[in-house]
Amino acid sequence: MNKILLFLLLSFFMADLSSAQNQQIARQGQVSFFSYTSVENIEANNNQVLSIIDYSKSKIAVSMLMRAFVFKKDLMYEHFNESYIESDLYPKANFEGIIIDFDENLASQTKIIKGQLSIHGVTKDIEIKTKIQKNKGNYTLDGEFDVLVKDFKINIPPILASNIAKTIAIKFRFQYQPYEE
Amino acid sequence: MKKSENLFLLIAFLLIAICTYFYVFPLLKNSNEPLTKEVAELTIDANLLVKSFAIDEQKSNELYAGKIIEVTGTIKEITYYNNRTTIILNHKNRNSFGVICDLNHTEEKKSQFLKPNQKIRVKGICKGYLKDVILLNCSIEVLTNE
Repeated sequence: MNKILLFLLLSFFMADLSSAQNQQIARQGQVSFFSYTSVENIEANNNQVLSIIDYSKSKIAVSMLMRAFVFKKDLMYEHFNESYIESDLYPKANFEGIIIDFDENLASQTKIIKGQLSIHGVTKDIEIKTKIQKNKGNYTLDGEFDVLVKDFKINIPPILASNIAKTIAIKFRFQYQPYEE
Repeated sequence: MKKSENLFLLIAFLLIAICTYFYVFPLLKNSNEPLTKEVAELTIDANLLVKSFAIDEQKSNELYAGKIIEVTGTIKEITYYNNRTTIILNHKNRNSFGVICDLNHTEEKKSQFLKPNQKIRVKGICKGYLKDVILLNCSIEVLTNE
């Protein structure tokens, strides 16, 4: 009985270990978003986005701090964090998804990632077209997609409605490295 | 008559000046400027900072997030992803990466002379914790290795 238990524990441990070997991590991924209107253009960059990819299971997870977005003007940063995203309540945005038909051996491929995006406490199903490149065993993912402001229950006061686009364009780029525990 | 007119002009001028100061300047303000003149609220060792976040993220956020802090530590590596110069500080806890310090553009030249394991002090705005503690808009100061 004890031996079986030990074996089970050991195999469990081994499985855990092997899953870490199939993972790659990007700690300095880039996510940018753009809002283009006739009144003003708003752009923000976050260069410290965390992402982990498990290429044996075709899984991907992304997490970022909303306060780490850098704007051109302080006032944009304040509005974004205090009025729209409410960063004190929802400090992070997360994404978890599965890469459809992912082939871990191809040097370059364009695939759809299906998953859930959580911003401002609202989770939404989303599909993102992504270019996946493999160079010297390390993956790089990049792409862009659009989100609707109203999908995430973000309230923009009528007086500022003309300054902020209804659709926000989001760009991302993650350069992965082997995940060393 | 003339005196009151002058007084009126003076008051009007003052009002415009005050409005400009309080309403127009903030619109143009851009805090991506270096923090060299700002005084840090506290100084902490990189190990302690990461440990604090790893143990209790919420409490650490209250203590450090949004504040200008100084972190002392040794350099793990310097990275140049997406045209940003970033210094990563070492950390003992192996599950965590350490401290990610995104340098202000004006500080980038200094980073050329830095080497791994060199001891430095970094001043930046603490943004929070993912797997690592994130500091933005950093300025650096080289310390002598003991």
